[in-house]
Order: sequence, then C-alpha cells, then structure tokens
Amino acid sequence: MKILVPVKRVVDYNVKVRVKTDGTGVETAGVKMSMNPFDEIAVEEAIRLKEKGIATEIVAVSLGVAQCAETLRTALAMGADRGILVETDVDLQPLAVAKLLAAIVAQEHPGLVILGKQAIDDDMSATGQMLAALLGWPQGTFASKVAIEGETISVTREVDGGLETVALKLPAIVTTDLRLNEPRYASLPNIMKARKKPIATMKPADLGVDPAPRLVVVSVAEPAKRKAGVKVGSVAELVAKLRTEAKVI
Amino acid sequence: MPSELAEEHRMLADMVAKFVDRELMPLEKSVLAREAAGQKYGLTPEEEAPLLAKCRELGLWALDVPEELGGANLPTVALMAINEELGRTVVPFTFPPDSPNLHMLLAVASPEQREKYLKPYAEGRATSCIAISEPGAGGDPAGMTTRAVADGSDWVINGRKIWVSRVPQADFVIVMARTGDGKRHDGISAFIVERGTKGFIIEREIAMIGGRRTYELVFEDCRVPASQVLGQLGRGFAPMQLRLTVRRLQMGAWCLGIARRALEMLCEQARNRVTFGARLADRQAIQWWVAEAATQIHACRLMVMDAAAKHDAGVDVRTEASMIKVFATEMAGSVTDHAMQTFGAMGMTKELPLQLLAQQVRVMRVYEGPSEVHRMAIARRYLNDRK
Ligand SMILES: Cc1cc2nc3c(=O)[nH]c(=O)nc-3n(C[C@H](O)[C@H](O)[C@H](O)COP(=O)(O)OP(=O)(O)OC[C@H]3O[C@@H](n4cnc5c(N)ncnc54)[C@H](O)[C@@H]3O)c2cc1C
Repeated sequence: MKILVPVKRVVDYNVKVRVKTDGTGVETAGVKMSMNPFDEIAVEEAIRLKEKGIATEIVAVSLGVAQCAETLRTALAMGADRGILVETDVDLQPLAVAKLLAAIVAQEHPGLVILGKQAIDDDMSATGQMLAALLGWPQGTFASKVAIEGETISVTREVDGGLETVALKLPAIVTTDLRLNEPRYASLPNIMKARKKPIATMKPADLGVDPAPRLVVVSVAEPAKRKAGVKVGSVAELVAKLRTEAKVI
Repeated sequence: MPSELAEEHRMLADMVAKFVDRELMPLEKSVLAREAAGQKYGLTPEEEAPLLAKCRELGLWALDVPEELGGANLPTVALMAINEELGRTVVPFTFPPDSPNLHMLLAVASPEQREKYLKPYAEGRATSCIAISEPGAGGDPAGMTTRAVADGSDWVINGRKIWVSRVPQADFVIVMARTGDGKRHDGISAFIVERGTKGFIIEREIAMIGGRRTYELVFEDCRVPASQVLGQLGRGFAPMQLRLTVRRLQMGAWCLGIARRALEMLCEQARNRVTFGARLADRQAIQWWVAEAATQIHACRLMVMDAAAKHDAGVDVRTEASMIKVFATEMAGSVTDHAMQTFGAMGMTKELPLQLLAQQVRVMRVYEGPSEVHRMAIARRYLNDRK
C-alpha cells in the first residue's frame, strides 16, 4: 500500500511569531521555518507502517513556495521514499490545498493519506476533513492510535471527554494528534541518502486546480499583551496578594 | 546557524540542535548540582551510555574521520555548525571520538600504527591525549626539554609534562620529546606511549577552573621500542601543529554556542526582571549589551564559516584561525560576563550554567595558545608582509 503524507512548511515552533508592521500577516522574512510538527508525526506514522510491512511506499507532498523543497527533504531524510512539490507563490488556503491533494490522490492512488490535524501557523484544522469530503473517503481525525487489519483501519481519536475508536474502510484519511507517536530524528546517513531521493515538481495548473484564495484576510493583530508577573517570596505573601490585590479570595 | 550551509548540513545541524535540546539539556541540572557539590564535573556512566547508543543510532560518530576508516568525513563548515550547537550546554559531551590527535595520526602513522592505534581511535573504541607542554615551555612549546635517547633499537624518554588533558581515560599518550641536537622546532619527535608503560608516571591531578582537570606526567627512563616513533624522527613539530588549525576554528564554534546561550538567558531575564519600575529590557545599559553581543556573535560566525570554507578548499587559514581564537574567546567572555551581571546575585550562583560557561571561555584564552601569542602571530604576519 502506498501512503501519501502532505507536509507543510511553517514558522518553527520555537520562534516567537511577530505580526508584520502593516498588519497584513505574520513576519516570515529571516525567520526559521520547519515542518509542521503534526506533519512530522504523520511522516513518522507512515514510516512505522512501512517498517511493519504494511506500507510499501511513502510519498511526501508539499505545496507552496520553492523552499517547501526543504520541508520535503526533511521528510525524505526521516524515511519517505520520494517527494512531490506543487510550487506556487499563491497564499494557499485549506480548500485549495485539499483540491490540489485530491488531484494528486487521483494520480498516485494511495491507500491512505495521513495529514497533521492542523498546521501550527493558522490552526485551521480543515484540510484533512475537506480532502475526505472531496474524495468521498472515510476520515479518522485527531488520531492517537492507528492499527491496520486487512482492508480496515481502526483509528483511536482524542475527543472531548475521552477516546473514541472508529473503524474505517481503506482507502481513508487520517489526521494526527500529538500523542500518536514521537517522531524520530533524521539520522546522518539518512540525511545524506535523502539528497539522492527524487522530488517531482509541478504547478497547480498541471493538476487542473485554481488555487486562488477565497477568503480575504482583513487584518492580523497581536493579542493583548500580558502584564509582567511578580515573584512572591512565600505562600503567606501569595495569599495576602490574592486577598488584597487580586481580590479573588 | 549560517544560512549558506548546504541543505544536508543545515539539516544535520538542525538534528544536532534537537539532540542538544532533548538529550543533553535535561541533564544540565544534575551535572551542575554535582559540580557545585564538589564532585566530578561530568556525566555518570548511566547518563552517558544511552547518549552514546543514541549517537550510534543517529550516525553521530566519527564525524571528521575519513570514509575509509568508517567515518562521515564531514567538511569543516558542517563540523562548525555542529560544534556551535554543542557549545550551548555545559553538559560535557562530544560525539566520539574526541579527536584532538586524529589529524596527526592520519598524517604520519605507519601502517602498523594505523591498525593498532588509529583504527580503534577513529571507531571510538580508544581514547588518547597529547603531552606537549612542560613546566618551562607552554605557550612556546619549541622550548621543550623532555628528551628521548636511542638505546639499541629502543628509545628511552626522560622529562616532565604538565597541563595534559584526558589522561586517566587515555589508552595512549602522544609524547613530544627532543631526539636531536636541533634548536627550537628542529629535532622534536613524537612517540606513542601506551598506558601502563614502565616509567610513564601520572604524577598528580590538577584541578582547573571550568570544572576541568589536567595532569602532570613524569617520564623516568620510559623505554619504548622504535616502532612507537610517530612520523619522521626529528620532524614531529609540524604534524603536531596540524590539528591546531581545525581545533581553533572549533573553539570559535564552541564560543558561538556559549555566547548564544548566554545572550538567550540574558534576554529572558531582561524581559522579566523589573527594577525601579521598569523592565531591565527597557534600560539602555542592558540594550547595548544585547546589541553588542548579537553583533559580535554575527561577526564571529562569519569569521568561523569563512575560515572553515577556505580550509575545506585547501587554503591555509592559520592567520584566520589565530584571529578567531582571539576574537571568539574574548567575545564569549564579554557576553557571558554581561549575562551574569544581568542576573545579579542569581548570576553568581552555581545553579545557573553561566558561571561554568564563563570559566570555560576563560580557560580557552590560555590553552591552544594564549591570546597574546596569537596576537603576536597575527601582527608578525602583517608586519613582515612587506620588505
Ligand atoms: C585547560 C587546559 C588544558 C590543557 N591541555 C593540554 C594538553 O592536553 N596537552 C598539552 O600539552 N598542554 C595542554 N595545556 C597547556 C597549554 O597549551 C599551555 O598552558 C599554553 O600553551 C600556555 O603555556 P603556559 O601555561 O606555559 O604559559 P606561558 O607560555 O608561560 O605564557 C603565560 C602568559 O604569558 C604571556 N605570553 C606568553 N608568550 C607571549 C608573547 N610571545 N607575547 C606576549 N605575551 C606572551 C601570555 O599572557 C600567557 O598567557 C592545557 C592548558 C589548559 C589551561
């Protein structure tokens, strides 16, 4: 079975995000970019399925600017077999991404698509679900455990109040939650091997998809600043402050 | 991290950064606590074993060793990016082998010596040290007086060495000694002396600042067969210098990591600490420290990466290495000092890593050649440029 893993290039999770001075978006110039952490979990899960002999090939896909090739290279260094880069400077929104991925699915015929449950930049949590709808495939979102048995994949989902397990018929869509696995480091030999793995590059037009945005970002603003905290020397002082200053007890 | 690195080397440095953050940083607290309690500064075998296993798994092994010896043979630029990441923590850990002698052995070891000493060393199964300095000759090692005299097919070594690092765990020591009548650099030879050789005495352990330890060694009629001569007789000085250039660039990379960490801590504290009704971050005194540190770190990284790239291209970068040795250690010294000052009393504690980082930088101004000697070398190079 072939597994398709979409990977998104986002501002590194360690970077403190700053709003552009003109309020049109988030500053990315000179900022460290990395693979969306949930997508790393998706790549890891695909590799584990390959190591178990369930998957035969892992194809990583990234959509966006040319530098997304670096994100693909990271996926290849972790263990994906080849990459597809859909290159565009257009601001890609979830529906456009889902349509592009649906077109790639039509070409590649994967048995499973594993996506991150959301990207840490815009936190939309929409692409996986939209892709499932476009393809008419079953979906298991927010997965904390997956197991494949024949033509069925059972997905344990993290839902409010506990865990829910659903059984889906393959082909299916899975989106990953944080606890699904701990992604491996790309080892030095695998980083070197990744150089030789192929990346195919195409444009949205090659897939017959118009990626133009359908939502307009009106403005982007910083959340209100938190006031600096204070350190207290003792529990007694804390209690006193809660009583007299915060007036909460 | 420098942006001009090749993609795979950038990924590698990223991986090492993760290794440092996830595997080494969590050990820092216990390493610091032990050192503060007067115990040995280092990792326990229980802490070290899983790290070494992880390194094997990730291929973080023999990074600068040639491929024919099973190494990764990384270019200097990649090694620098890796060492910068390692410099960020006081947890004493390097990817094996710790290779101060690698380049010398590679250059001059005989086929038998390659098999017996270089191979296990390159594979990380053996460790070694080098004894150059003497009580009367350190910054100017050409003044050494330890002597080896031929006796039949053997050599008999007599003399005293000091400040030698890594002695207790070393399987062999490379000892530099006079064998000829030559003056200064001439007539100095290198010998491989195995641990336990009769007449090779570890006289005493010397506690140094920065948690380090060095050793004074005595050679008393220490007899070794002629097969232990490393390289050409009387021409040991030049190969000994081979390791120094890369080592000095590496020290520049460590200083970058140390300074980055100190600046990060300084900024964190400056953002949080309020005095006289304002954050430290809002005071110009502190802002200038930040600006100066960031600027110097940037300059230093450019120096290190420039020299590393030239070295990879086969250019002699001895002068650049001297410049880096001087600039990097003084830069990191001032950044760690400002970070400590920003923390006030907390900066003076042994609970923070800053004091150890600062002491390690302080020590770096002496070993591998004191700053003044490097300044002399740089100046000579320029003063003697024209007739
Ligand atoms: C932590 C540590 C580890 C070490 N590990 C080793 C090791 O493994 N093996 C080994 O052989 N050695 C080792 N050394 C020794 C080190 O290489 C020497 O200490 C160093 O070269 C300086 O020599 P010295 O101590 O004799 O100082 P000296 O040569 O006496 O110099 C003392 C001071 O004099 C000044 N000075 C010297 N020459 C000049 C000049 N030309 N112009 C202006 N000023 C000058 C400098 O300020 C210098 O700091 C280590 C040292 C330290 C601190």
